[in-house]
Amino acid sequence: MLSDPQPPDTSPAAEWREVEVSYPFPKQRAAGPVSLSIGRGERVLLLGPSGSGKSTLLLTLTGLIPGSIPASVDGEIRLFGEDAAKRKAWDWASHVAQYFQDADQTLCGMRVEDELAFPLENRALPEDRIAAHVTCIMQRVGLPDTWRNRRSTTLSGGERQLVALAATLVQDAPLFVADEPTAHLAPEAAGRLHALLTEDGPDRSVLIVDHRLEGLIHSVDRMVVLGRDGSIIAEGHPRNVFRERRDLLISQGIWCPVSCALDAHLSEAGLEPPVAPLSVEEALAHLDPEAAPREDLAKARPAVEAFVAASTPSTSDAASIGPALVELRAAECAPFLGPTVLRDIDLTVHEGEILGVLGANGAGKSTLGLCLSGLLPLKAGRRKGAPGGVAFQRPENQFTGGTVIEEVLSAMPRGMNKAEKAERAARALADWGLAGFELRHPLELSQGQKRKLVLATLTASDRWPLLILDEPMAGLDARGVATLVAEIRMLRDRGRAVAVITHDMDLALRLCPRSIVVGEGKILADGPTRQLMQDCALLKRAGLAEPSCAGAVRWLKRVAAC
Amino acid sequence: MRRGGAMAEAGRGMLKALNPLGKLVVCFVWLAASVLVFDARFQLAAILIPSLALIVLNRTPPLVVLALMVPFSLFGFGFLTTSVLFRQESDFALRMAGESPLASPAFSAGVTLFLRALACGMISAFFALTTDPGALVRALMVHARLPPRIGYSLFAAMQLVPDLAAEAQQMRYARAMKSGRRLRRLPGPGELVSLVIPLLAFAIRRAGRTAIAMEARGLAPDAPRTITQAPVFRRRDAAFVLVALAALLLCGIAVVVDPAS
Repeated sequence: MLSDPQPPDTSPAAEWREVEVSYPFPKQRAAGPVSLSIGRGERVLLLGPSGSGKSTLLLTLTGLIPGSIPASVDGEIRLFGEDAAKRKAWDWASHVAQYFQDADQTLCGMRVEDELAFPLENRALPEDRIAAHVTCIMQRVGLPDTWRNRRSTTLSGGERQLVALAATLVQDAPLFVADEPTAHLAPEAAGRLHALLTEDGPDRSVLIVDHRLEGLIHSVDRMVVLGRDGSIIAEGHPRNVFRERRDLLISQGIWCPVSCALDAHLSEAGLEPPVAPLSVEEALAHLDPEAAPREDLAKARPAVEAFVAASTPSTSDAASIGPALVELRAAECAPFLGPTVLRDIDLTVHEGEILGVLGANGAGKSTLGLCLSGLLPLKAGRRKGAPGGVAFQRPENQFTGGTVIEEVLSAMPRGMNKAEKAERAARALADWGLAGFELRHPLELSQGQKRKLVLATLTASDRWPLLILDEPMAGLDARGVATLVAEIRMLRDRGRAVAVITHDMDLALRLCPRSIVVGEGKILADGPTRQLMQDCALLKRAGLAEPSCAGAVRWLKRVAAC
Repeated sequence: MRRGGAMAEAGRGMLKALNPLGKLVVCFVWLAASVLVFDARFQLAAILIPSLALIVLNRTPPLVVLALMVPFSLFGFGFLTTSVLFRQESDFALRMAGESPLASPAFSAGVTLFLRALACGMISAFFALTTDPGALVRALMVHARLPPRIGYSLFAAMQLVPDLAAEAQQMRYARAMKSGRRLRRLPGPGELVSLVIPLLAFAIRRAGRTAIAMEARGLAPDAPRTITQAPVFRRRDAAFVLVALAALLLCGIAVVVDPAS
């Protein structure tokens, strides 16, 4: 009954031929028409704006759509040369390991050890081999042995994502498909996972959908870009696509690596790197301060300075900070029905301040955020100040309305008149790219759109003097992040305070003049973000990584020293 | 002192390490006896024996044991009041209880019914607090040939119960935030009712996701599969079953030998 895990021939690992998907509610196209193939041993990155049908396309691969999720699928899908529809989804598990966008869609709610053993049990492997595989994958992914008996639902969002990835990797299938596998991971864990996803032998095919490109893009053989209408708008090697189609990607609100911006600055200065760069170091490789001509360095310097300036907060960002808005004193924080995870927390958030909250997965950042908002009572200590609004890590937890428009209207202040409410809601939906979705149920939206809806609801109502945004970047496309950054700055200018819990070091550096680093059950550091990001020992201790522009800052220092 | 602690730890481990099916059989037999034997002393024994085992061997705090009995007490209190206030309707019970040492037959029957509700609750609590749901499902799949699809559905349903509390709390946070009202420590009746439909929707969504996750990871309807860490029957399971049934027999004999004293 079990299928042979070795692919029988050399046809593509996966192939979509003119595939088009429509859900029954609402009756409109959710993905395609798309024709795409993944070769044996090829690593492909699929990019596209939120709602372009990336996740839907992945779900059609083994027949989960339409087998388990009702939808109409036109066109043909082939796996290892075989019509995918000829087998059930479970029968493809030895060939295709799938990591879904939401870790909860990958995990079954068991203990960590059981989650990892489950796919191997389904393949009827001997018990001792299963035990060996489980131990091995835990070590490779970096899961502590103490997690073995913890239920996956008791882990933090990032920890769950790590377990879900381990549970997918343990399948050791010839095709690995991952939908935003590192969205909730701290930089150090994300780097480790990117390496694991792309390290295996030449016969293993990988298809990844991700918005977080740094660290991953080097290992990709080909990238495919979907446009807003769900069709392919660009395809090729990342170096070529990011240089030649940069303007198109930006206009579609699609992520580009940070090196793209530096490449553009250097090109304007007439110092275009000979090979399209995928990292800051690559972009500056032809401008070695010790070897490059002086005049080239002089021409490049303003371009690099402009790039660094765009990546860091301006000095005026920190200047307009007002009086204290919310204070935690000697606070002990514990999640609902859980043990204390943070002790001796002394933290003040000021009016007009954007505070970064950084730390490894499971450090207690979300718990701190809830305590800071006043929603979660402290175990000990005291909180002083106005209540805060929170964008939860999982947007679905937040929805109370039956439609998108109801959701936005429900958060507006009670005293506001109906016309103003409607006008403000319509503007917010347009700003966040959700116009046209007003009458949809919030749960019908894509993951990125759900997050946009939560952020639109919180920012449009302008009710809370303090907003806590828990990993607001996860699942957002570049356009969503640009809107988020603009909205946060607008709130700051109106005297509101915003605490941003994030694993994105580039965003933290660009947006937050001040940050705290959470770890080891306390606040490890509190200070200017730029300064914290230069403390390599602190970053390592907290499982963080330096921002992408760090290489450019080092280059500027070396040039200045020459 | 240290020796006593070590023994208690060993006992706690022992109860949890017992084969769930052995415990299930013992609990079913005790439950059946509680239903059939209409004697307050027997019901007291059926409450005390599992609660002492929980407190002494499983190190369950007595307060937790008492708290778990609150809903069963409320349920049993209904029997007590019904029995006292509506004597005609409980004629059989009154006749049975008329032979017991308690003075008023109506009150006596009510007390026995009350204790029976508590006894059933305590036996169930003993099983729930000493059994890992995953181990139970595995044991059922291995020893009782429960199909894996049904076994894992059962398992997912059991795991959902504790998650509902966390999900309900997240919903309460969102609502409190939007309404601008301070979150009460415990939800009131109105709030509880308003959470039912969203929690039901969550449970349905979660069930769908779990089904997809299991299918995508290769759970087939009838293909052969390995079941790791399945509980096996050991000597200690036989000893546990024998001791538990012997205790039941002794309690039964005591009631039969001395019915009126």
